Amino acid sequence: MAIDPSMEPMLETFIYESNTLLDQLDEILLESEKSKSLTGDQINEIFRIMHTIKGSSAMMEFTGISTLAHAVEDVFFLLREQPDRLSKVSEALFDVMFQASDFLKGEIESVENSGEAAEDPREMIAELERLAAIMRGETPADAGTPADEKAAPADPAGTPSGDAAALPCRIRVYFEDGCQMENIRAFMLLSQLRDLCDGLESIPAHPESDASLCQEIIKNGFVILCKPSSSLDDLLRVIEGSVNVKTYEVLEDDTGHPAASNPPAETPDVPASPAPASAPAAAPTAAAAPAASGSPASGPVKAKQSLVSVNQAKLDQLMDLVGELVTTESMVVGNTDLRGLHLDNFYKSARELRKLTDELQDIVMSMRMVPLSGLFQRMNRIVRDMCKKLDKHVDLITEGGDTEVDKTINEAIADPFMHMVRNAMDHAIESPEERLAMGKPEHGRITISAKNIGGEIVIAIADDGRGLDTDAIFKKARENGILTKPESEYSDREIFGLIMLPGFSTNKEVTEYSGRGVGMDVVRKNVEKVGGTISIDSRRGKGTTFTIKIPLTLAIVDGMELSVGDSIFTLPITSIKQSFKIDEDKQVIYDTDGTEMIMLRGECFPLIRLHQLFGMPTAVTELQDGIVIQIESGDKVACIFADELLGEQQVVVKPFPAFFNKYELKRLGLSGCSILGDGSISLILDANNLLNR
Amino acid sequence: MTQDILAADEAMQDDLNGHFLTFYLDQTCYGIELSHVIEIVSVQPITPVPSLPPYIKGLINLRGKVVPVIDVRLKFGQPERPYDDKTCIIVVMIEEMQIGLIVDLVVEVVAIGENQQGTPPELGRQGERYLSSIAKVDSRVILNIDCQKFFQSDLLGF
Repeated sequence: MAIDPSMEPMLETFIYESNTLLDQLDEILLESEKSKSLTGDQINEIFRIMHTIKGSSAMMEFTGISTLAHAVEDVFFLLREQPDRLSKVSEALFDVMFQASDFLKGEIESVENSGEAAEDPREMIAELERLAAIMRGETPADAGTPADEKAAPADPAGTPSGDAAALPCRIRVYFEDGCQMENIRAFMLLSQLRDLCDGLESIPAHPESDASLCQEIIKNGFVILCKPSSSLDDLLRVIEGSVNVKTYEVLEDDTGHPAASNPPAETPDVPASPAPASAPAAAPTAAAAPAASGSPASGPVKAKQSLVSVNQAKLDQLMDLVGELVTTESMVVGNTDLRGLHLDNFYKSARELRKLTDELQDIVMSMRMVPLSGLFQRMNRIVRDMCKKLDKHVDLITEGGDTEVDKTINEAIADPFMHMVRNAMDHAIESPEERLAMGKPEHGRITISAKNIGGEIVIAIADDGRGLDTDAIFKKARENGILTKPESEYSDREIFGLIMLPGFSTNKEVTEYSGRGVGMDVVRKNVEKVGGTISIDSRRGKGTTFTIKIPLTLAIVDGMELSVGDSIFTLPITSIKQSFKIDEDKQVIYDTDGTEMIMLRGECFPLIRLHQLFGMPTAVTELQDGIVIQIESGDKVACIFADELLGEQQVVVKPFPAFFNKYELKRLGLSGCSILGDGSISLILDANNLLNR
Repeated sequence: MTQDILAADEAMQDDLNGHFLTFYLDQTCYGIELSHVIEIVSVQPITPVPSLPPYIKGLINLRGKVVPVIDVRLKFGQPERPYDDKTCIIVVMIEEMQIGLIVDLVVEVVAIGENQQGTPPELGRQGERYLSSIAKVDSRVILNIDCQKFFQSDLLGF
């Protein structure tokens, strides 16, 4: 099952995303097992993680991963409906969840190393289905005996019962006294070591399967049999670094010449049992993959991450620091103490400094900016696959893929995007016959567009499908009891908003793609997390448009400082067309409403007096005394009138304190504020909103 | 360890409970729970922001952080007064937001026991609906401001 070459660029993202999600999963599992219960949030979270993994792996055509994820999702779907079902299966569920998580990690790793996932999770799926059945109450509650059945499923991560010769090292580990859950800790340790070993076994085997093994581990220690990939030292370092490990001893170390004494073909890393799903032609590759794992260069598809994942907080901090640096630089160079002095050398150095800070700033910004095209491309793939499976004809049109957004934004909207496109494909677009019957073109159309409008990214996902059915939404909302006021009081917009509440789904059927009501509430949650808003516009029979607006949170803008009375405004230079003085009155004309307009080279532009607009007292009210600046945004142009231009400065855009949220300053044409070199605060003008008030 | 810190934090909270920072508007003494107070700074240049209610005076730059400031006199419907060298800005933290309160004069921190506090009469008058209690310490009457009530109308709409 070699990877489609067109998917290669996405592989890296897939690996990274899945790994992050699995890490989250482990965290939740450990926490919940400790408390022996799952909170509603945890169930939802696991459900979402699995849902995402299911979707993305199905897209990458890793069938094993996606079917397993689907099975887990099923179980948690039941739990979500009735959390008390957990008591019927608790222990067994955690066990199999750990196995599943481990299996997924192993698979992702093998995808990373060899570009394919070849193992078969059938046993685990069977176990999950058994648990699901118990929870549904279909089978007599034989939850008391899961331990016996658990012995049956083969270890997912593939530790075959290799002979001792293949596992030359024996390490005995003792955990700290009273650290509890020794078996799980042992299991975690094994998972950590698996990366570094070509073969790995333990005594007792499968420590995670039985809590009663704790006593044994406490008494005899936990013995690890392994064959290190590189050196034993690496392994020992991991063991040393693990929490709760009290002591360890190396019992045997026969790693003389591991490569020579153990021919690669025998390396018991991944069991060479290619999944039935994989094409026969791929079988040799699958068998070769484990052998290649020692010498990375020979892997068939190399998707080893050349990326370093950096803590977002550090990047934020770096960004803040650069912002401070820019401000401080302005503070130094524009210092009032320097006024009137001739400092040629100083200014020469200052220019050098400015060049460097500019460069630094560009790099820091670019570190966090990614184009949306990657995301759009994934949608292409989804649409293609779903067209085939659902037998629909849909054209995907993307616009503005080169729009760059902050990494956090890109990540936050990836999931929502997938859900929305899937929803559109699955529910909105009708079958070709239906479309023809309705007089629509046979080919449906989904349009995704991204635009950068005045400090906001506006992303629209539009389809020309059947539109939202307000009656059906009401019915469902009634059933779920999520209506909060009389039905007659709901506006269309509010009705559409209902579909974004948790647990809402108008589609009865659960399909591979969508229909469990996780979709839209995830969408809203993720969009809101990055400070965005989402609105829905739909017309029955005509189609639906989802519009997401996300503010560009971080930005350093080149701004022109204007003064109006005692206040200072910053106008982004990008929106300035020109500035000029008015010398004669006849340039100003009035329309019938008394709106002032300025005649410029035969064209008329409305005049906005900032002091009037913002109600700021100023001595400069005559047009001749102040300055007029022509600004543009999109296709609109206008002139604004201010007291005077103070000069150019780079400023860090800070959002207004949340305290001001309800006054909607944005709509007034103010996008935020910034601290100037001298410590005073300027208000940042937003040309787009000024022009579209 | 986190628990230790939490415990210490709690202990500190307990220490702060029952303590009020007192300040004056005209001749009236008000108190504000110390646990809300972050710091007190002298009046600094305030950047006005358009289209806000008059009592929100604008923004100040508090060491690189932009903080909105409220004139408590105006909020209470009292006449405005020019700021002088006694005028202070009390920076408080409400719902994880820092907000500055402009007052005539900050006096001191006093401990007020439960038994010294009485419920304010229901007069429905402007300034009094923000009060949590009225206390008498020595010979002074202190009107304690309930921060939640005080900011209620501003916090609506989130």
